[in-house]
Amino acid sequence: MLRKRLITVLTFTDGVLFRTKLFHPDYRYTQSFIDSWSIDEVVALDVTRPGQGSKENFYSTVQQLARKCFVPLAAGGGVRTIDDFKKLLSIGADKVVINTEAVRNSKLITEAANLFGAQCVVVSIDAKKIGEGKYEVYTEFGTKPTGLEPSAWAKKAEEYGAGEIMITSIERDGFLEGYDNELNKLVSEAVSIPVLVCGGAGKWQDFVDGIKIGKASAVCTTNIYHFTDVSIKSAKAYMKNAGIDVRI
Amino acid sequence: MIVIIDYGLGNLFSVIGAVEKLGFKAKISSKIADMEKADKLILPGVGAFSDGMKNLKNLSLIEPLTKLVVEKKKPILGICLGCQLMAKESFEFGHHKGLGWIDGSVLKLEPNDKDLRVPHVGWDDLLQRKKSILFEGIPSDALFYYTHSFHIKCNNPDDILGECDYGGLFTAAFNHNNIYGTQFHPEKSQLHGLNLLKNFLEKG
Repeated sequence: MLRKRLITVLTFTDGVLFRTKLFHPDYRYTQSFIDSWSIDEVVALDVTRPGQGSKENFYSTVQQLARKCFVPLAAGGGVRTIDDFKKLLSIGADKVVINTEAVRNSKLITEAANLFGAQCVVVSIDAKKIGEGKYEVYTEFGTKPTGLEPSAWAKKAEEYGAGEIMITSIERDGFLEGYDNELNKLVSEAVSIPVLVCGGAGKWQDFVDGIKIGKASAVCTTNIYHFTDVSIKSAKAYMKNAGIDVRI
Repeated sequence: MIVIIDYGLGNLFSVIGAVEKLGFKAKISSKIADMEKADKLILPGVGAFSDGMKNLKNLSLIEPLTKLVVEKKKPILGICLGCQLMAKESFEFGHHKGLGWIDGSVLKLEPNDKDLRVPHVGWDDLLQRKKSILFEGIPSDALFYYTHSFHIKCNNPDDILGECDYGGLFTAAFNHNNIYGTQFHPEKSQLHGLNLLKNFLEKG
């Protein structure tokens, strides 16, 4: 039985780990806790705004992370070209996350999937609620409306060759009040590839809801108390208790 | 010395990282001379089957490597695409000839349950079917990390070491003489994965 995954998402500005709120760096962390053994997967995202840092600092952070990471590591943020894929894979990423460029140039999805395999291409979608049950995809750190509807875009991304979809609710980011499971369910039911849900988890029950109501294959968390060893174990025990198959 | 075969596909960094973490000397190489000198070989890889074969061919590795593995019996572990390349043929987007070291074919994952998504990504079981040095000290309920849309089907049941059930059984680990393969990624499966890799490096 394939287990549901609990994934830690780490967001970096100029190579330094920050928690984000509404997509802005909010709270700075030290990195000593990352080599936890209970987490199922790690996603490292560069959220450096233009002119606020160098790509090299992010790369060196990913490389350090990869060295002590014996679980899958996905990396992304500002990925524009096949060379960016190659760079991240060469420093230890197993998968690459693309967002803005996927919307701008969907050929990149196909090209990358052909070269590195679909399992290597995670298409990340940031969405904002624009009405009752209605959502819109935003790019460029959640600032630019695209006119795309998230589940339709996810379906397209799957057709272009994406191996996984990561869906993030922009307005839930950093609020710890739970995922937008209406959005998650909409996207999960539209595709037949795995869906990772992100944005808003603040308590263990949120993970359960993300899977049971949001139909997620994996639930993501960005907050520090979620990714110490003890808390990951406790979260998984809670999920198991709620009838979800997880890796203990 | 462990040689990790570089044929331009896959994350070699995580494989060499795991091998070195286990205390072995390792080298990434595309040169047959290095492979001949190696104690053991690892054939990693993620990506498309046809690209894998094309790259091995362009590096002029197919014949000498086959001789080294099949005739000289150099121990080798194939991981993910690496294990699939060892099969006779693949039906991944067309029909392609493989290395032919293992009597088997590579087929698309077609779970018999509509709720099961493809690619098969995440932590899943390894149903141990046979005693093997690979499994020494590995509990029967240990989980491993899989990420794939295709799988190898071994024609010789004796070669099958372990299976995984994803809407139907598929071969998750195999062994034929000195040739080992795992569909999952031991280098990304934490403690049990590292132990399985260590078993191959020490006893394979």
